[in-house]
Amino acid sequence: MGPRPIITLHVPGALRAYCAGAAQLSISAHTVRDALEELEHTQAALYRNVCDETGRLRRHLNVFVNSDNVRDLDGIDTKLTPGDVVTILPAVSGG
Amino acid sequence: MADRVILTIGTKKGVFVAEAAKARRSFTLRGPFGPGVPVYATLIDTRGTPRVYASSCNPFFGMKVLRSTDLGKTFKETKSAPAFPKDDGRAMANIWALEPGPGKRELWCGVEPASLFQSQDAGDSWELVPGISNHEHARKWNPGGGGLCLHTIIRDGNRVHIGISTGGHYLSEDGGVTFKASNQGVGAGFAPDPYPEFGQCVHKMARHDAAPGRLYMQNHGGWSDWTGPGGPRPDIGVLRSDDHGRSWRSIAKGLPSDFGFPIVVHPHDPDTVYVMPLEPATRSCPGSAPAVWRSETGGASWSRLARGLPKKQSYFTVLRDGMDIDQMKTPALYFGTTTGQLWIGREGGEQWDCLFHSLPPIHNVKVAIV
Repeated sequence: MGPRPIITLHVPGALRAYCAGAAQLSISAHTVRDALEELEHTQAALYRNVCDETGRLRRHLNVFVNSDNVRDLDGIDTKLTPGDVVTILPAVSGG
Repeated sequence: MADRVILTIGTKKGVFVAEAAKARRSFTLRGPFGPGVPVYATLIDTRGTPRVYASSCNPFFGMKVLRSTDLGKTFKETKSAPAFPKDDGRAMANIWALEPGPGKRELWCGVEPASLFQSQDAGDSWELVPGISNHEHARKWNPGGGGLCLHTIIRDGNRVHIGISTGGHYLSEDGGVTFKASNQGVGAGFAPDPYPEFGQCVHKMARHDAAPGRLYMQNHGGWSDWTGPGGPRPDIGVLRSDDHGRSWRSIAKGLPSDFGFPIVVHPHDPDTVYVMPLEPATRSCPGSAPAVWRSETGGASWSRLARGLPKKQSYFTVLRDGMDIDQMKTPALYFGTTTGQLWIGREGGEQWDCLFHSLPPIHNVKVAIV
């Protein structure tokens, strides 16, 4: 496996207070799982909002790689390539 | 000198704070704090400089504890919220109870799935209390209608009473280190055995310092018509213990229903206790006419308090933490409804007035004189 690609993680407005106001973070990760593990180590407060104590992605959050929901790809094992944009969004829908 | 009445109102869309002079003629309202996020537990901690706490149970981003040091004018998140150890396998679903602990800055917190946490630093860090959270029964408890919640924490010296839905009543006599199920006389309507060792759906418990050993319980009643195995279970919903919760007996005779959620004791009279009977099917008051019921005889007899409340076509529910009573010489009761009304029962519940009629659905009401 080669060097970890550098991707951009977009942080939703509601969570920016947990990463010093950053709207996006640069992360080196082969997969979404790697990216979350990186968050756990470098942005622990942000991570707690995204994953529960067991390490599972919180139930009402969606993670997109570029424009695809990881649920439609390989879940958090979805592979990342350089320049990918990972976006975390609350699963708000409906009326 | 304590001269203000403070109410915390935990709702589906954040916590509100209401304030009045001691006469309680009118209340001003501020909030919501933690807007849009459900609040199931609040605490007005009057030890030393008053602090106000609220749980903030964000369905997207998890649990937070909010703290105010200016009587609920502003709130900030504490440095952390209760969380299970990573290897535990359980994940926090809700915070149901916040209570003062024995230490000056100590807090106790009941959560879902049913577990107890303690903080020694006013909520900035938390530790799991293994005696109840990892009790040998813990993995056998089941969720009730509100989830598997540890919702009641009552400290009485070295005794600790815990209420779990559905788990029942647990008693510690060593300050919370070890716990035993203590449910003799506490019925269950949803299991073949009407009096199991544990697993009852306790809704709320209350006690008074002036009546050592006595406890009141609102249990999950409404089983008088049950025809399945074990037969009918009338009057199991409202109970009293006189031996520190080791055994319990019904005090439901005279009530229109033994189903309900909150139970509250008068601040100056341990014989005076309040409940709000509900029809078990609709979770609204019998005849759609809301009323609080009061016993001034420790449960031997009951009277209906409804002056000022709607006389018909009212279908709200008052949840387990939705009613409280203040500490004034002539206390007022307060209850919040699932339809967003906050009511005050002046003169100990003799006269009811609606303080706020359009709040979000109310989960929790606490009152203190500060």
